[in-house]
This record gives sequence, C-alpha cells and structure tokens, in this order.
Amino acid sequence: MSKLKNQSTLSRRAFLIGSAGTAIAFGFAQTGAIADETSPFEPTIWYSIDRSGIVTVNITRAEMGQHIGTALARILADELEVNWRNIRLSAVDTDPKWGIMVTGGSRSVSDDFPVYSRAGAAGRIALIEAGAKLLGSSPSRCFARHGAVFAANRSISYGEIVRRGGPARKFMPNELAELPIKLASERRLIGQKADALDIPAKINGTARYGIDASVSGMVYARPKIPPTRNDSVVRSVDDSAARQVKGYLTSLVLEDPSNTVPGWVVVCATSYPAAIRAADLVKVDWTSGSATEVSEQNILDHGATQIASSSGGALVVDDPGVDTAFEAAGSVLERTYTTGSVLHAQLEPVNALALEKDGRFEIHTGSQWQSLVLPVLADALRLPQERIVMRTYPMGGGFGRRLNGDYAVPAALASKALGRPVKLVLTRPDDMRFDSFRSPSIQTLRLAFDAQGKVTAMEHHASAGWPSAIVAPAIMRKTRDGTPYDQDAIDGADHWYNVGAQRVRALSNTLANSAFRPGYLRSVGPGWTNWAVETFMDEAARMAQVDPVTFRVELLDGAGRNAGTAPNAIGGAKRQAAVLKRAAEKAGWGTVMPKDTGLGVATTFGQEREMPTWGACVARVHVDRSSGAIAVEKLTIVVDAGTIVHPDGALAQVEGGALWGLSMALHEGTEFVKGQVKDTNFDSYTPLRIGDVPDLDIEFINSIEAPVGLGEPATTVVAPAIGNAIFAATGIRLRHLPIRPAAVLAALASQR
Amino acid sequence: MTSFHINGRLVMVDAEDDMPLLWAIRDAIGLTGTKFGCGIGMCGACTVHVGGRPTRSCVTPLASVAGAEVTTIEGLEGKHPLQTAWADHQVPQCGYCQSGQIMQAASLIKDFPAPTDEDIDAVMAGNLCRCMAYVRIRNAIKQAATQARKVAADE
Amino acid sequence: MFKKLVFAVVALGSLGLAGFGLLAWQPAIAPVAPPATVSFAPELVAKGEALAGGGYCAACHTRKGGERFAGGYAMETPFGVIYSTNITPDPETGIGTWSEAAFARAMQKGVSRDGSHLLPVFSYDHFTKLSDDDVRALYAYFMTRAPVPTERQPNGIPFPFNIRYLQAGWKLLYFRAGRFEPDVSKSSEWNRGAYLAQGLSHCGACHTPRNLLGAEKSGNAYGGSVIDNWVAPPLTAANPAPTPWTQEELYDYLRTGASKVHGTAAGPMFPVVQGLGALPDSDIRALATYFADVDKAADRLPYVSGAVSLAMSSTLAKEGAPSDPDARLYIAACASCHYNATNAPLAARPDLSLNSAVHLADPNNLVQVILRGISAKEGMPGVVMPAFGSALSDADVVRIAAYLRRTRTDLPPWPDLAAKIAAIRRQYDAAK
Ligand code: FES
Ligand code: FES
Repeated sequence: MSKLKNQSTLSRRAFLIGSAGTAIAFGFAQTGAIADETSPFEPTIWYSIDRSGIVTVNITRAEMGQHIGTALARILADELEVNWRNIRLSAVDTDPKWGIMVTGGSRSVSDDFPVYSRAGAAGRIALIEAGAKLLGSSPSRCFARHGAVFAANRSISYGEIVRRGGPARKFMPNELAELPIKLASERRLIGQKADALDIPAKINGTARYGIDASVSGMVYARPKIPPTRNDSVVRSVDDSAARQVKGYLTSLVLEDPSNTVPGWVVVCATSYPAAIRAADLVKVDWTSGSATEVSEQNILDHGATQIASSSGGALVVDDPGVDTAFEAAGSVLERTYTTGSVLHAQLEPVNALALEKDGRFEIHTGSQWQSLVLPVLADALRLPQERIVMRTYPMGGGFGRRLNGDYAVPAALASKALGRPVKLVLTRPDDMRFDSFRSPSIQTLRLAFDAQGKVTAMEHHASAGWPSAIVAPAIMRKTRDGTPYDQDAIDGADHWYNVGAQRVRALSNTLANSAFRPGYLRSVGPGWTNWAVETFMDEAARMAQVDPVTFRVELLDGAGRNAGTAPNAIGGAKRQAAVLKRAAEKAGWGTVMPKDTGLGVATTFGQEREMPTWGACVARVHVDRSSGAIAVEKLTIVVDAGTIVHPDGALAQVEGGALWGLSMALHEGTEFVKGQVKDTNFDSYTPLRIGDVPDLDIEFINSIEAPVGLGEPATTVVAPAIGNAIFAATGIRLRHLPIRPAAVLAALASQR
Repeated sequence: MTSFHINGRLVMVDAEDDMPLLWAIRDAIGLTGTKFGCGIGMCGACTVHVGGRPTRSCVTPLASVAGAEVTTIEGLEGKHPLQTAWADHQVPQCGYCQSGQIMQAASLIKDFPAPTDEDIDAVMAGNLCRCMAYVRIRNAIKQAATQARKVAADE
Repeated sequence: MFKKLVFAVVALGSLGLAGFGLLAWQPAIAPVAPPATVSFAPELVAKGEALAGGGYCAACHTRKGGERFAGGYAMETPFGVIYSTNITPDPETGIGTWSEAAFARAMQKGVSRDGSHLLPVFSYDHFTKLSDDDVRALYAYFMTRAPVPTERQPNGIPFPFNIRYLQAGWKLLYFRAGRFEPDVSKSSEWNRGAYLAQGLSHCGACHTPRNLLGAEKSGNAYGGSVIDNWVAPPLTAANPAPTPWTQEELYDYLRTGASKVHGTAAGPMFPVVQGLGALPDSDIRALATYFADVDKAADRLPYVSGAVSLAMSSTLAKEGAPSDPDARLYIAACASCHYNATNAPLAARPDLSLNSAVHLADPNNLVQVILRGISAKEGMPGVVMPAFGSALSDADVVRIAAYLRRTRTDLPPWPDLAAKIAAIRRQYDAAK
C-alpha cells in the first residue's frame, strides 16, 4: 500500500485519468524510428498495425464478462477507420508503461473513450498523410475508410502504407490531447451491433482462465483458512493424517511480511484433488483474532451507536442550515435501513499460479487491480516491483472480488518457500470464507418538511465497513475539513434530489473493518445507500401523500449543484427525471393492479456524481400472503448512459446487473457469525437461478453525451423498487436487505 | 487405473477410484473447458456427458465412468447447434459457466425437442450463471431447439 | 448385506444343545484327485456357466479386486468378519479335491466336504431346490476354472458361535432339503421362473424377511427386508410403488438393470442383474412372469396410467420458482436429470414421483443412491449418477429426502430420517 501514498489525493477515478494522461504523453515512442520492412506501425502504445493491415489493440482492462476489449477496440477502430474484421485484441501483462492497471467502478469505457478515440484519430491522420504522399496527393484531398486512404479514384491500404515504410508523423502530447475526434454523426462502429471478440472462445471451451494456467513441474496447493481473517496465528500443524494421502507433499506455514494472509497454512500436493483431501486432514491449531467474538448484529449495533453519536465520521456533504431547517420543520420523517453481508461468489474460485523464472516472479491470475496488488506482492516477496510480472487472464467473474488481489500473495509465498511453481486454488468454501465480502450496513435518514409540506432539509448517516480503508487508503477522498473517507462506501447518498439543506455523514464501521476485510462488491456503497435513499423517498412521498413518481420528479429539478457539469454529468438531475418518467410510462405506472400485486419505483445514478449513469426501475411484484414468498414478475428499466459504444454488451451488463440487484434483494445474503460467514457453498448460499428470472424490459435513452459506466449501475436500482412494490401490493414496509419470506410474514402479521 | 473414452479417444487415468472425474478431465487429461465451480454438484459448471447424459463431473467418482463414453465441451467441436445459438445470442459474459450450460442444454433439447419455459427452468436450474446471462440462455436454447427440429424435419 | 443373517445364525449358537452332536454329525467325503478339464462335456460347462451367473456366485465368492471365485469376500457382522470360500478347483485352498457328490451335498444339504456344516450365509436352503442336472453342470463349470491358490482367511467369529455343528440345530428347525416341485396349475414359464427364483437365484435370501433366528419367514415370502442399510423391497403386492411391477417392467429391470418407472438396480441388486445376464431372455421372462404373479400386477394394471399421471402431477412444473429452500436445493442438485415434463416419463430421466425408493417404508435405498451414486456399469449401461456423499452434508440429504417424500408421495414422512442417514453415512465413510 505504501507505494500508493504519493498518490493519496487521487481517487480510484483519478488514477484512471492519470493513466490515460501517461499514455498520451508517452505513447508515440516509436513514430520517430524508421520502420524497416517487417516492423509494424505502432502509432501509440495502444495498438499496432502490421503489414497486412491487421490492427492489434492493447487492452489493459481486465475481461470479466463485460467484453471490454470489444468496446474499447471499437472506439479505436471507429476513429482509425479500419474494418472491424481486421481488429485483434491483446490482453497485456503488467508493465509500468501502461500506468495504473485497474478495472472497476464501471469506469473502463468512460475513462478510456478519450484515450482510444484520440489514439485512433492520431493513427488515421498519420496514415492519411503518409498515404497521400504515396498516392501523390495532398492530405486535405484524401480521406480514410475501411483501412485504406483514398484520393480521388485511387486508394492505398494501411497494410500497404506500413509495407512501404509507414508514416513518420510525430504528435506532441499537447497536439494529441487536442486532436479533434469525429462527430457522433460520422461514427461507423460506435453504437452499432457487433459480436464480442471474446465470446467464441467462451463457447467452445478454449478460453483459458487463471484456473486453467499451468506450467510443467507445478505443485498444487490449497489453503487452510484460519478462523479469523485478521490476526490469526498458527500455533502448530499436524499433518500426520494427511501423509496417508497419495501425492501429499507438505504443509507450509506462510511467513507473510505483507500481512495479507495472516495465519495461513498452504497444503501442497502433486494433484489438486490430493491437495483438497490432504487439507481436509491437516489439523492446524490457531490463536485466532478478536473477530471470533463478532457477529453480524454486533456490527450493526456498532453502526447504530456511531450514528446515534453526533460526532465522528466524515461530512461528505454538509450544507449550512441543516439543523435550523430541522428545528423549524413542520414534520420530520426518520427511518433506519440495514443490509446484510453479501458474498461475491464469482463462479471461478480465486486462484493464482506463481513461479520464479530468471530472477523474476511471474504471477498468473485474473486480477482487477494489478497496480494495487503488485506492491503488496513486492512486500510479501521482499522483491522490487520491477521483478514481478502479472500475466493476464480473463476472469470467471470479477464483481469487485478481484480488485483485492490478496489470493496472489499466498501462491507467491508458497512458490518462494518451495522453490517450485505453485498453483493455489481455493475450493468454493475456502473462497467464500476468504471473501472480501460486502459489509453489513446501517443507515439513518431524516427529512424535514416545512409547514406547507415542502422538503427543506435531509440528513443521511451511513455506517459500514470501508473497503478502501483496508486495501487502498491512498485512494480515499477527503472532506473539506480534511477527514478521509471511502467514497466507494458512501457514493449514492449524495444524490441529485433537491432537498434543501443536505448533510451526508459517512461512518467507518471499525468493528467490521477489524473483524473481516470489507470488499468492493458490484457497485459497493450505492448497493446499500440507494436501498435507503430510494425506500426513504417512497416513504416520504407516502407521508406527503404525493405519488412516488411525481414526488421524485419534483425534487429532481436540476437546480443548483444538481444542474450537472461536463464532461460526464451534463444535464444533471433533469436526465434522471427523464429516465424516471420514461420507466413509469413504459411500466404502466398508475394502472390498477390485481390483488396483492404492486408496482414499485426507484431511480439512481449508478456509481458516483462525477460519472452518473441515470437509471430508473419499476418492479411489478406479487406477494403470497400465506408463505411470504415474493414473485418479481417484471422489471422495467430505463438507462441513460450517454453514448452507447457496444449496444449488445451494454444490454448484457444491464441485464446481469439488474438480476444481481434482484438476487441480492431476495435470494442472496449471508451472515457473519463469530468471525466467519455462515454460508460457504451453493447449497445454502442461493443466488438467483434461471427459474427466478422475471420479464425484463430494458431501454436505453438515445444519447450522444459522454459514455458512462454500465457494469454496476443496474444493481443499485432494483432492490428499492422491489421493496416499494411490496409496499404497494400489501402496505408493509421492509427496511432490511435481503428480504426473506419470514420478514414478509412477520410484517403482515403485525399489520393486522 | 481407470480407462474410458473421452471425446472418442481412449484414455487411462492412474488415480484413486474416488477422485472426481472433473480433475481427471482438467488436470490429468488436460481438457480445461470443463470448469470447477462448487465441487458439490450445485452449480453445473463441471457438467460433461457420460453415456450421452449430462453429468456433474465434480461429484462423479472416476471409477464409476470405467468403460463409459465421456464428452466434454471440446468434444462438441464448436459445431453443436447450441453453440451457434450461443454465438447468435451473445450469451456468455464471463463465460465460466457456459461449458456446463451448453452441455446441460444439449440434453434438454434432446429430451424436450420443443422445450417450454417450465422445462428450461427445471432442467437448467442446476446451472448457476453468476453473471446472470439467463435471459440469453433461455433464448438461445429456444433457437437451437427450433433449429434442431427443422433439421430433424428435413431429414 | 448378510449381517442380519449371520447375526441370527450365531445367536443360535447360544442354544448350546450338545444333544445335536450326534444328529449333526456328517461324514467327510474322501478327497479326489482334481478331475481333468477334458472330462467335462463343453455343453455341460457352458450350461454351468449360465447357471453360475443366474446364481451370481461370483458376487459373494470374489473379493474386491481379487480373482473370480477365489473367495475372500468379507462380510461384516457384529461378531466379526466372515470371508467367503475359494470355489476354484485349487486342491489346497479351493474345492479341487471335492467329488461331485461332495459338491452336490454342499449345494443341497449345506454340508462341507469335510463333514462340517456350512453357515447359512451360503443359501443352501435355496440351492437344495436345484435339479441334479443343474448341480452337475455347476460342478462341471467350477472344476474347469483355473485353480487360484489363496491365503486362507480364518473367519473372525469367536467361540462359541463358531462351532459348526451347532448349525445342525438350525437346520433341524428351518431347513427342508428337497428339489423344486412344479405347480401344475401354473404355466411352464411360471414354473421356470419359480424354480429360478426359489432355487438358483435365491431371491428370498434378501427379499423375504427373517425371523429372530435368521430363517426366512415362510408365511411372508418376498415381504421385503432391510439388510445392511439397504432395503430389499417387497416383491409382493405390498410393494408401495405407485405403479405395479408388471411383467414388462420386471423384465426390463432384470434384463437391463433399469425400469423406466421404478428405478435402477444399484447396490446389492447390481451384481444380481449382472449375474442374471448369463441367463437367456426366456429365463428372465420366466422370472418376470413369476414375480408379476407374486405381486398381482394384473389386478392393478387398469390403474397404471392414472397412477402415473397422479404421481407426475406433483412434479416441478407446478411449483414454478419455489421459495421453499428445500425445493431450491432439490432443483439445484437433482431436477436437471430427474425432471419430466409429461405423463410419459423418459427412461433416461428417472422420475422420482414413480420411483420405488421414494415410496419404500425406509429411506435407505434413496439415501444410499444419493451418497454412492450409480456407476456406468450399474443400471442403465454407460450412464452415471454422481455420488453426492462427499458433496452434501447429512443435513442437506435429510432436506432432499424429506422434500421428495413430502412432495412426491402421499405417504407419511420417514421416521428417524436423520439417524438413518447418519448410519448410512458411517457405512459409506468406512468403505472409503
Ligand atoms: S463444480 Fe460441479 S456442480 Fe459445481
Ligand atoms: S457467464 Fe459468467 S457465470 Fe455465466
């Protein structure tokens, strides 16, 4: 983590912009060199064009289901004016030249759009100049299309230009930064349908994930997960029973200077099933950390205490006049909302293959944040970072689990200790017990109405475990008074409603932080802040006796700080109001529903104010009063994500995100019990299955605004819409996620 | 030593009788298209065909397939109508579950040539897709079934 | 599987009636030089081979991984382990020095060549019904096998239960020597089936309940019993499966190892079907005819289709996306293979609303199969049911079994389900 200190003022987002800047500044290293007959044209580090016109696009973002390479390559290819079939992707390994490598926050397309489009434009300009010369014309009379430069009735392909020595044009960084990109109306690939380039290998079994990596002579390993995530210490290891297992080699007690995996024992064998069996038989005696005294309710209670105290925490928004408004209020609504622990349960259990070769450590694994784990690996191995390289693999699911690359550390340490390549794979129960899961949360919201029923002030206090405080304190933002806070754990509370004087207080749940390692899980904070805000808005509308859509639209007036700013938030709250109205209209808002059936609405802005993805959802839900079972019949979702680069990929992200939201609302959720999560496999941890899928009606707003994120936003809007629909159907108000039939039954009983 | 056929090829695997078939396929034979998700038969990522029937290889003891015919995703050679439908509908996200989904769906459309939503829900319920590509899985199954019926009618 | 049997037999030892001594005494039959293979007609040997299959002799007389018929198969009992004997013609450790008369006496009277009484784990109470011709054929078959010398394993039965002549008392009470008597009121096919069932294939050894002293209850032939945590289901009309075992279903089951409605031959029934493979189709048909009569299938035939639709109406399709966690567990683990859509269950999708195991009075067979699975060799050839023993916890198995019982039958819940599962788990773990 220490390596990140010098960047402590940067957010996760700013990192990415930093990396883009780096690329633009240093991206033209090769253009000055004389291209020989065989060398490809490499106008920037982001791609090269070979002698046959094949364009290889370098992708630093991790592939975990979002087809990111396809989206980024299409941005580039559109500007470069090449045929899509000539595009190839290269998922690059770590190298300092790429700048910060991270894939998270739904930021990839948003942050890389300027980078790849300018890189493409630069290449096109250079090729036109070179082509014009070869055609004996002038650049102004030439244009590029389909991978060739055209002059009047003649043309020359990019491949041919490369064969003939390639362009020699140089761009100064400032020139590059100012390169104009095409008008939206001239785009040929962006916004058009395209098959994702990563998909064929995922259909025929040839895609190789981290778990498929192998090198000769490698040893398989499985850990013994200690009783607590933090502060476990191995007292003794007894492997006498394991020695009966054919193929068992040894059990290593890891020495970990980085303190990433305290108390870990890694069981090694010549095959993975032998490692599984041996690990079952190895007995480890641990001194465990204090978390064995901690359970879910303790964490929520701790949060409640923090909220009850007027001091502490970070005032993320703190308008003048909040207290005055509440004192003067005609009426006040105050509600508390909670959410339980949620596991990532990405389908590929975490794993890593580590080996030392020629004085360098190679780590083969899927990672969402190589730049975060590299310094940790360096600490653990006591090696300079330059001697470690991470090989890139697609991931069998990320969802934020692999932002924390902790699983690479034990593999590296075991390999170092054994002097052999070690492939460490966690079983499903190991993976779940080692998860950096989504922290439980507790939030109290207050709203002041004046005597006329106008909203005059709002407070939002939220306590939860802070992922960044644990793994990346360097990226935490600071309030105006200098208090650091984890924006990932509070984003969403700083909403776009005009509520008068507003206060948002983020509290780091220190009990959660010490009991386990809170993680980033698909949308992180907005997953719980929006549950609170959007349920609360519904309650407020009911209290004000105003239709919940009308109530929200009136508050989304786009006044003041909610007007929105360039580059990503142009239009502000007005755009949020627009998706909300459209979703209500599509879903038949206001029509009479059958008995015990209701429509509920919610609207969110995705991840963060600086990059809002406007979304609204109307859920149609039926409640079975005898069993408490909730059937979600339909989700109508409208999204405004600005320019949509890869429409089908975008749709897939919204489909998956919305169903994640539904899954977390009704089907998932575990409990932290005495230092460990309760559920460790899919017999009791039960994500949504195919039969649980409702009708989905998803629409994107046609837009040429800057593209924003799509990986996470849809997860944030579904749970409150369902909760609000349950209220519409039955009049019961549920304030805890996940919603279980037992809670529905209890609420129905107390209603009578 | 257990011998069986995999994708038409005879293999002999020297391992304990109760070693899960999954690891024989992935590590001993080296066909990594079959995935490990849960190890307890609850996610379907490891689904292969044994004797033409979809079988979760993570809970199938090696000895029990002695003499049997095993087919993995690699054995479909990318030519199965489901694979075409999977591409047409751009089904996979991360893709990790998809070998298992396809192997499972193959029996579905064989047993139920015109599958209803109920058939799909019941037969595919054992296959988790953590990315939740379920809408597309359903649509692709229907397309492949329709295609298979057309082919059968033409023959 | 013979645990109960042996228990009763050794209990008898406590009778300690020394008076049997005289009665029980049987002479040794002098050893002979092992007869030469060529002294047996090939047709006789071939016939004996089929019969040895139909009696599935190899199932008990072969130890795991050992040479066929060389014995050493361990049968666990509460009193120790009994090992089956070597019936290859090895002169030292097998039956190489047995004359045909000695062999016939063992088969038909339960007496060893040396005059000692055999334990009734060897089903001589059934084999006594075999015709002399069939015994001769079996002798020819065994004497022409390759001799396999084996280490003699002393049985672990302690004194006084190991006193062989005490077995004579048991014989006095329960054993009647004598060949099969055909029932002239029945067809010859029926009689052939009865001969095989009662004699060679000794079906009652497992399927007929036994009294306290381990003898089959003659009044309740084929009434079903539980042996070593497996249920040998009733083969009578008392079988609780929703549809009767018809001649056709019986034939499919015994011939192929699987009936499309009732289930698959697994566990101790697997070697039976495997052995019966040596018999011609006509014999299997005869067995099916006989048992279709024993269970009165014809009386219930008119109700079959109704029973099928009734049973299947309880399947998944009706349940939609269930909120019941047990249903979710079941559909995740089991439904992919066991779901059926229509009133015609597919053979490759064993329907658990029709399956015998779900309807039996004991959950044992269902639980055994959940834990152990079914290998490619068993049941439907080449097809496997995974083994959930190392995957699911006992609590998960309880939930699945109880859920099936609750939703697929009108029968009362299984009592002591968790305890039974735990017992089967112990047995399963011990076998690993
Ligand atoms: S890995 Fe086999 S079912 Fe999950
Ligand atoms: S595509 Fe990722 S798990 Fe299904």
